[in-house]
Formats: sequence, structure tokens, C-alpha cells
Amino acid sequence: MAREFTRRDFLKLGAMGAATAVMAGCQPPRPWITLEPYVRPPEQQLAGVATWFASTCRQCPAGCGILVRIMNGRALKIEGNPDHPLNQGKLCARGQAGLQVLYNPDRLTGPVQQSQRGSRTYEPLAWEAGINTLYEKLAAAGGRVAVWTNSTVSGHLFDLFQRFSAAVGGPSPLVYDLYTGFNGYRLLADVSQELFGRAALPTYSLSHADVILSFGADFLGTGLSAVRYGREFGGFRSQPLGKRGYLVQLEPRMSISAAVADHWVPLRPGTEGLVAGALVQIIAEEELASADRAALAQSLIGGLDVGSIAAASDVPAEELLHLAHAFASASQAVALPGAALTGTDAGAEALAAVQALNLIAGTAGEASGLTLSPPSPSEAVLSPEPAAFSDMQALIEQMRAGQVQVLLVHGANPAYDLPEQVGFLDAVANVPFVASFAPIVDETALWADLILPDRTYLEGWGYALVSPSFDQPAVSGQQPVVTPVFDSRSTADILLTVARGIPAAAQALPWPHEVAFLQETVEQLGPGAAGGSGIDVLWTRFQQEGGWWPASPPEPEAPSLASAPTIQLQSPSFRGGEEEYPYHLYLYPSGLLSDGRGASQPWLQGSPDPMTTVSWQTWVELHPETAEELGVHDGDIVQVTSPEGELEAPVCVYPAIRPDTVAIPLGQGHTDYGRYARDRGRNPMQLVGAQADATGSSLAWSTLRVKIRPTGEKVALALFENKVGVTEGFLNAEFPH
Amino acid sequence: MEQPERKWTMIVDIDKCTGCAACVVACHAENNVPIVTEQEVVRGRGQHWIRIERYWSGEYPHVKAHFLPILCQHCENAPCEPVCPAYATVHSPRENLNLQIYNRCIGTRYCGNNCPYKVRFFNYFDPNFVEPQDQQLNPDVTVRSAGVMEKCTFCVQRIRRAEEKALAEGHPLREDEVVPACVQTCPTGALVFGDLYNPESQVAKLLEPNNRKFRLLEHLGTLPSVYYLKGGTSRVSE
Repeated sequence: MAREFTRRDFLKLGAMGAATAVMAGCQPPRPWITLEPYVRPPEQQLAGVATWFASTCRQCPAGCGILVRIMNGRALKIEGNPDHPLNQGKLCARGQAGLQVLYNPDRLTGPVQQSQRGSRTYEPLAWEAGINTLYEKLAAAGGRVAVWTNSTVSGHLFDLFQRFSAAVGGPSPLVYDLYTGFNGYRLLADVSQELFGRAALPTYSLSHADVILSFGADFLGTGLSAVRYGREFGGFRSQPLGKRGYLVQLEPRMSISAAVADHWVPLRPGTEGLVAGALVQIIAEEELASADRAALAQSLIGGLDVGSIAAASDVPAEELLHLAHAFASASQAVALPGAALTGTDAGAEALAAVQALNLIAGTAGEASGLTLSPPSPSEAVLSPEPAAFSDMQALIEQMRAGQVQVLLVHGANPAYDLPEQVGFLDAVANVPFVASFAPIVDETALWADLILPDRTYLEGWGYALVSPSFDQPAVSGQQPVVTPVFDSRSTADILLTVARGIPAAAQALPWPHEVAFLQETVEQLGPGAAGGSGIDVLWTRFQQEGGWWPASPPEPEAPSLASAPTIQLQSPSFRGGEEEYPYHLYLYPSGLLSDGRGASQPWLQGSPDPMTTVSWQTWVELHPETAEELGVHDGDIVQVTSPEGELEAPVCVYPAIRPDTVAIPLGQGHTDYGRYARDRGRNPMQLVGAQADATGSSLAWSTLRVKIRPTGEKVALALFENKVGVTEGFLNAEFPH
Repeated sequence: MEQPERKWTMIVDIDKCTGCAACVVACHAENNVPIVTEQEVVRGRGQHWIRIERYWSGEYPHVKAHFLPILCQHCENAPCEPVCPAYATVHSPRENLNLQIYNRCIGTRYCGNNCPYKVRFFNYFDPNFVEPQDQQLNPDVTVRSAGVMEKCTFCVQRIRRAEEKALAEGHPLREDEVVPACVQTCPTGALVFGDLYNPESQVAKLLEPNNRKFRLLEHLGTLPSVYYLKGGTSRVSE
């Protein structure tokens, strides 16, 4: 609504000359703006030629290296960094969508406070006031400060949080998010500790494998390192002399990894570990493979009954025999553990059975097979280790008991990620002061008193220890590729500022700003593949190359058994009786939205889901027979109820799922987090409840049963494909009108 | 007719495509392709210059899924070209690309009607890039307004940039200097791009000889520039 630009204004403009202009209309009152040509252009700027900056993608914990195309100070495109040892120039859909995290219109435009939590009334305040408030609260809280962060927090910020907490006598920062929680990162590391003596994430080299048995691992979708496993898979399918390997995917619902497999085994949910154990048993009994490998199998397994496992898993005994033979007779065989396997109530045993297979394969530490992610190359380089579920519950207990005076939340969204029964919101009510550093208001920031928005990853400094790393340790570097789009401040800098006023912390955090701290870290890393010496050169190379990795990759460590467990396995116990809850529930992170963090990016919301081609929605996948029994078709809304919760969502008839199983993707059901995320779909974590596996490491999400009730309501399913006349027996599809 | 100096060709290896959709998002980012709303998707107006089609075959439990990435095939004998009344859809004689000239297009949508691959999309609306999303727009690519058809261009803007750079540097265009956004990002390496007329190129070497190669709807005589390599299935004997 600008007022009209009259002749008078024009003449005034002419009189003032080209160097200034009058601003009229509905902008804040400013008499003029200054237009200046580039008298002193920034270095390396050529009109029409882009500059590329190396940084790290933070859309998942893997830590792929990226190059960002910058023109006129704008980030236009993200590509994989060809020199980065993890992703070698490639990048997944989520990495490509990172620009929409940076340029999200719903980001906070500055610090805000909420006088009433949950009111969604955010009052802007000045940075000085906000930081002062934070300082006062922290100074008064002493050691009763808790930090909740997530697996993609920069290593340097995690380090600073840790030093701060230790200095004031508070608990260590908690790293917990749905991505690592769902994928069982903690359990994977714990079982590595138990079996191999080192708590590290297992990695599996696939590009030279003959036989891969994937126990529900969606390694090409949202597993531990989608881009790297994508590269590995490309190599797997194009080995010399036309060899293309044999991939078997064992899971109740076909993911994209199962879609490209040579054989899909739709086993009963929760029995992935049992089947792995059965294969070890068969190899031991039948003395398949070489003598020493069969002997190893015999030493590991404690007399499982293959027949009853066949019944429990719904995989015929002949099939189990066939798989065992294929695995044992291959010279390069690999077994992959999946998220559903770590999400059972007995995930540790199930995981041990899969790792046992890898040891029996005799390929551990070789060109194909199991290795452990290498340790950090320097004491100065930290990695946020995902916490155990029980540790997370312990913090919530402390909060509920009033033992936490200040809660700092950075990058994590527990109010969305966690099932209600975990009690995060109830506990937060007993924390007097909650500060969030979220760049965009999410479900957790909604319950904060103060939000001091951090820079998004493309605007920020940091590093990420590549996790898991495959053949060598790598520290991926992060640097701002644009000046900040909105008025945000680095949380690390805020922490350093605040620490100066708290005597206990001031000594522990002496750096004037985060870059000084980062430079020290890089100096301690020393020269890597990029060479050089002295902090100036090392720092420059770290930024230019996109990180640090060793000059020559070390010999891969062959994991060997530190302790020889006897693998005991039992049939999983499901929550929900079969009569009342006839179906198994199978959840999976959406390939685009992942655990829900992608929902704010329209490129991810609007791209069709690879298996169903649905976008923008949550859906319930039912086998055609199941749909027919229930009398429902695509778009019919059903109510899905577990012993822990319920949700309503439209049906999507899905041919590649067990008839006794229903599958629902994670990712939607946000109430905040921006216009693209808000008020669409449902969050199926609300069906899960608060049970952990037997060791307390992992959320037990894959052993639930549900019932389904058609509601009689209907919605149009946003399918990209047209199913009319394509899918058999599908006569009542409506044409859009 | 002049002999083209290049034949830009893409190879899609079905055996390696995992349906991950990295190519889909990369293309949106590179080419300023808008994302349509949920309601528009319901109306059948999904807009993706490259899409992953997923086919089912077989009956449970032996059901299989197959991924087929489809993009403009840059046909030598393109059905979309002769039907444009405004010559907005033309063939580039020099390099065998099917060009879309946005400012000539008057939106009859006949080209989209004629395309057997359904890779042409109509802009029903003006673009709605909400600030600051407009900061991300690629300045090398026109932002299309309502009423205009669009489709994959093999990232012609990247081809042009590379050609101009090679010209300025005084050397012939090298194979590795041109890569479309989808090919660049594909994690498995299922997509390969290059000049088929160059016998040293990756595409030439991959295609000749290859008993896995085929083209889509070959019987229509469109002569596509996109070759697909058949997927396979491994079996293990007892």
C-alpha cells in the first residue's frame, strides 16, 4: 500500500541525484537509503561468477561435505563436496533442501520472549536484554542447569556446553533426538562396546560384497549414512565382470532398500533378530562355511530352535536354510542391522546376532564387511554421543522433581519427538526457566520463556566428526556461506559471553568468540591431507577443503570379539493383545521428512514419497486384502489405536506389506515449525508410548500392535501417480474435481 | 539440415536407481521449479521436471517394485515440436536439445498434450516464492510466469556456461565440465551424462555395446536422447 509517487517526488529525486532515493509507502520511516557501487568489492567477487564455499550438511547426523554456490551474497545451490571422504561429491534429497532451512520465511527475525508459555505470543526484545536475562538466570542457577541438544549440534558447541556444565557443576549435556533415537544409535554403540570393546557405530562396506542380508536396514533411505551407502550400493551393483551382488531385505514393509533388493522377505515385525540367530544356528549345525567360521558360529549361539523361529517369523524353514547357505558360501558377505531391529524390546540380543553373522562371514575389517567408525583423531575434536533412552528419562525425572532451574534447548525438539507418555511437557512445567535457541519456533520452543535464535547451519561456524565414518576419521568443517539472513546470533558466542560473568565458567571458557575456539581446535588437529603448518594455513585449508582428514587413510581396524557372548533370543513380546489389536504397527522415517525435521522445507513436503508418491500428508499403508476386509480404499480415513494412543489418517493401499501389518511414515503432525509443517498430517510417535528396550538404551517402538477402525470420513490422497485403471480391483477412485 | 556438433545424451541405469529422489529436489533447486500445493497435487498438477515412477509387479509376497526416473527425453523426433503455433518448442540444431523458449509460449498446451512421456508441465499460477525464498533463485534460469510451459532442459544453463568458459579459455569443452544437477547429486551414480558424438565420453563407452540398453516407447519413433539400462535380479543357487 504505497502512497502514489507524484511528479513532485520525481523532481525531488532528480534533484538529489542517483546516489540516493526517497522511500515512500508502508516501510518504517527512513528518509533515504544509500545506493553505493562496489568501490571496494569483496575479494573474489566477479559479476556473474559464483563463489563456492565448503561447509557441512546438518540435515542428518552423518556429516556429508557440501559446496555451496554463492552469487551476490546469496546461496543458490548446494552440491556434495567431491573431495570429502564420506560422500565424495554426492548429496541426498535432504541435503539439497538445506537452502530452504536458510531461507525459511517463518524463521524468527530476532530474539523473543513469551510471558506465558504456549501462548504463541512472542514479544521481541533486544539482544542485550535477552542475553542479560539468560545470564541472570544461569548465574542464579549454579549447577542446576540442564542442556538438551541433538545429534547435529556442532562439535564445538557441544564442547562448550560440556565445559560450561562441568564448570558450574551441572549434568553433562543430553543429546537426544528422534533420528538417532529411532535408528538405535546408542544401542549400536553399546553393543559394539560389549562385543568389540569399543563404543563405536558399526559401518559396513558394501561395494565389494557378494551377499548382503539386510535385517530391516533402510540403508538407502534414512539409515545411518544414506549418501555414503548410496555410493556403496552403486559400487555393489557394478562390480567387475558384470557381478552385481545379491541383496536380501528382510522387513515387513518394503522400503526403497527392499525395492532394489533381489529378494524381499516379509518377515513378521520384531523377528529380525530371531531370523539372524536362526541363520547363525544353521551355519553352526550344518557346519556351513569354513571350519573355523562354523566353529565360531557354534561358540556364539546357544541352541536355538530353527523350526519355532520359522513359525514365529513367518519365514519358512527352507528359506532360512537357503539364506544361511547363501551367506556362508559367499566370500564377501555382510549383514546389516536395521532400525526396527534395534527398536524391539530385546534389541541388544537381536543386534548381537547380526554382528555375529558379520564375524562369521570372516570379512570384518576388510574391503567389504563390518568395521567400526574410527575414533576421533584428536582429543580436541568431540562428537555429540546420542544418549540412552534411560538417561533421557533420568533428566526428565530431574526436571519433574524441580531439580533443574534452567533448561537450555538447542537443535532438539523433544515436545514433538517424544511420545506424550515420556512426560516431557509435564516435566518442563516444573522448570522455572526454559531458553531455546531454535531459529524457527518449533513445538519445544513453544514452551520456552526466551528464544535466542541461533544461526542455521549455512550461516554458522563449527565442525562435525563424521559419524559414522567408513574408512578413515574425518572432521567436516562448517563455515558461514552467507551473512545471516535474519537477526540471529551464534549460540556459542552467547554462551562465551554469558560465561564471562559467571566466575566458575569464565575460566573454563576463556575464548573471546567461537572462531578463536575453533581455530585452537584446528591447530590441535594438525596437518592432514591438505598439509600446511601454523594456525593461519591450517585454518585456511580447513575452510577451503571443507574439513580435515588424514593424509593417508589408516588401515581399517578389524573388529574382533572382546567377549564371546552366547546369543540368547526370544520371541518378541508385543504390547497389545492379538485379539483386541489384530495388526502390527510398523513406523518408518520418511525418506524426505526424515524424523520430522524436514517438514519445514517445501521441496521435501512437495516431492513425492518414493514408494507411494504421496506428498504433503500422513497416510496409513494397508495391504489390499486388509483394506478389503476393512472396506476401505485410498483416502478413507481410519482411526489407528495402540495401547498407548491413537491417530486418524487416510489409507494408502500398499501391495508390498504384510497383510497383518500397517505402516505409517514419521514426519508430519507438527503444530508449529512454520507454515509448511504446521497443521498437516499426524505424528505417529503418539502411538508408541514410553517403553525402552531391556537395556534401557533404546526406545522400543517396533513391538506394538494396533487396531483399525474406518471412520467413514474421506479425504483426497495427494498422489502424484494416477492409480485409476492401474491398480487391480480399484474401481471407486474419484477423479479430481 | 546442418549436422549437429554434439549429441547430449543421458543414461539412466535402472539397476542402480534407488528412488531416493535426490535428483528431484536438486532439479527444483537448480531450475527454479515451483512446488505446488497439496490441493494442486490432488488436481493432478504435480510439477517435477524429473520424477521417479514406481511400478509394481507380481503378487504378494513375490511383489516387486521398480523405479523409473523420467525426464524430458530430448527426442530427435519430438512430437511436441511440430505442434507449437508460436515456435516456443524447437529443436536446437547444433546440439540436439529440445528447447523451450518461455517468452514465445502462449500456453496452448498442445506440446504437453502431444508428449507421450508426459514430461511437460504448465504453469497454472504465477510463482509464489515467499521472501526470502526468492534469494535462492538461480539467476541463470528464467523464473516462469503463469501461462507458460516448462520442462527439463538438460540444465542448458550449465551447458552454456561451460561452453562460454571453454571458449574464453580457448580449449574444447571437456566431458567433465558439464553435468546437470540431477546427475551431479545422484548418490549411486545411476545417472550419467555426456556427448554421444565424442567416442571417449562415458556415455559413448557405456552404450556401445550394451545389451541392457533400451529407450522408452521406442516404437513411437521419437528417437529419445535418454537411454535406460535394464535392471536385473541376482539369484543364488543352492
